[in-house]
Amino acid sequence: MLEIKGLHASINGKEILKGIDISVNAGEVHAIMGPNGSGKSTLSAVLAGRDTFEVTQGEITFRGSNLLELSPEDRARNGIFLGFQYPVEIPGVSNVNFMKTAINEQRKFRNLPPISAAEFLKLMREKMAVVEMDSSFSSRGVNVGFSGGEKKRNEIFQLAMLEPVLSILDETDSGLDIDALRVVAAGVNKLKRADNAFIVITHYQRLLDYIVPDVVHVLYDGRIIKRAGKELALEVEERGYDWLINA
Amino acid sequence: MIESKFKYTPEIPEVFRCRVPLPQTIQAFVTNGVLRERIDPCEGVSISASKGEKGFDYVVNDDCQLSENVQIISFRDSADTEDLTFTNNLVFGSNTESNILLCTHTLTLDSFKTEEYVKIKVGSGARVNIVVMQNEHNNSEHTVNFDLNVESDAFIRINVVTLHGAILINDFNVKLAGKGSVCELNGVYLVDGKQTIKTNVQMNHLVPDCISRQLFKGILDDESRATFTGRIVVAKDAQKTEAYQANHNLLISPSAKAYAQPQLEIYADDVKCSHGATSGRLDDNALFYMRSRGIGKQEAKLLQQLAFVYDVLENINNEQLRIRLSDLVESRLRGEFGHCTNCSMNCC
Repeated sequence: MLEIKGLHASINGKEILKGIDISVNAGEVHAIMGPNGSGKSTLSAVLAGRDTFEVTQGEITFRGSNLLELSPEDRARNGIFLGFQYPVEIPGVSNVNFMKTAINEQRKFRNLPPISAAEFLKLMREKMAVVEMDSSFSSRGVNVGFSGGEKKRNEIFQLAMLEPVLSILDETDSGLDIDALRVVAAGVNKLKRADNAFIVITHYQRLLDYIVPDVVHVLYDGRIIKRAGKELALEVEERGYDWLINA
Repeated sequence: MIESKFKYTPEIPEVFRCRVPLPQTIQAFVTNGVLRERIDPCEGVSISASKGEKGFDYVVNDDCQLSENVQIISFRDSADTEDLTFTNNLVFGSNTESNILLCTHTLTLDSFKTEEYVKIKVGSGARVNIVVMQNEHNNSEHTVNFDLNVESDAFIRINVVTLHGAILINDFNVKLAGKGSVCELNGVYLVDGKQTIKTNVQMNHLVPDCISRQLFKGILDDESRATFTGRIVVAKDAQKTEAYQANHNLLISPSAKAYAQPQLEIYADDVKCSHGATSGRLDDNALFYMRSRGIGKQEAKLLQQLAFVYDVLENINNEQLRIRLSDLVESRLRGEFGHCTNCSMNCC
């Protein structure tokens, strides 16, 4: 589904990613771990198409086509979703309006007519339940006045609404208490299917107790320094990163 | 679509069909400053031509509570292209209630210069909501001087929605003359091309216990200009005054310019006053967030612009009117104004 080959990316001339290779297949969950500043968030931003980063080398193929040629919106329309580490507040745009616009823009891309009001409401209700979100959130401004946990739930709610093929969750667990973490993780598990995939970026093993990865990558200084099964996450939790970095 | 109750006369071009108001709206038409057609709203309310031929007097007798909306449509066309100056008087008696929509338009592309005085007297205990909608051609220069006198315990709110025009100047001179009176002035202005909008506010708190709130927000594109000069004056005796003023501008183009001069002049010592002015640009983080959900760049920019003026439009208390005006703001920002042959309003 996703092939990243020899990816180099920099910001303001400073190289952050120094040759990344990752291959993700349908039905898989990949975890990317690593200490602060290793390039985890840069990788997710590059995948979603943030133009503050410049890809200097390498390629990314998503479902057979060159991802790097696509605008952020076209990547989303093709099935990429980025769960933000810091979801953005947009005062004046209600959650309902935001989601309706997003869904209709994506439907337009697929030559589908706009979603009917009844259908949309049903979908909202159904997906809000997935993350145990109160219906009062729908009329509020996007993320405005939301707590850290509510913002992350809102990310998973949006994921549920848009049904992406590949979801990249950038430190979705940061700032979450254990109950919110469980809700978010349960949401992801409900949305996991044989025909979609997840890349979960996290600092801690904690989230991976709930979302079990098929592959764990350890990213350090812009390179993948270790790749193994889910047991690697446990080992990192126990021993830290130093033994990998100094290896 | 809703048909107006108004019967069109030959003087009033057929193309003009305003569908902004609600069906139960009472309409009056003013062409080139002259009151042409009117329907007497109801008992206790009258609209008549001023003695000086141009301009009109709108009078609501004491204790008259008018639940219907009154729309006064004032437009200019090629029948009179001279520079015009005229005065309208709006008198709201004590304990009255009124909802008024004032629309100004130009029907032809002639160069118009219009200087309009709107004298508003709000009697004690009256509640008045006025929405001003300005949609004029690129050759129209229009100055509206609002002069307000607000008596005790009265409430007046004016929401100005400025959609289009070459040089539009809205000048407010408010006297809070009676204790416990409240005045709210809100405005949304959308300018692009080489358009200019100027807003001047002089808010005079003359007596104690009055409240004033001002919120003006504008979106500026291309080489447009917006100026806001707002002064709050609190007299020595006007204790317990609350006065707030805010002007925020969203600059879409690097060549657009916004000038703000917020001023406070306070002679009393027990007051709550604030003022603030900002100018900013679209938020890149919000744009990327929206695009990452599949919303196209243009649509994301539009959503952000609509969000920017949302809180001002929220102040329009009539929900249906608010929705219609919000739709107009949206189509204006989308550049989707429909064009009837020689009509500039494009409100439909």
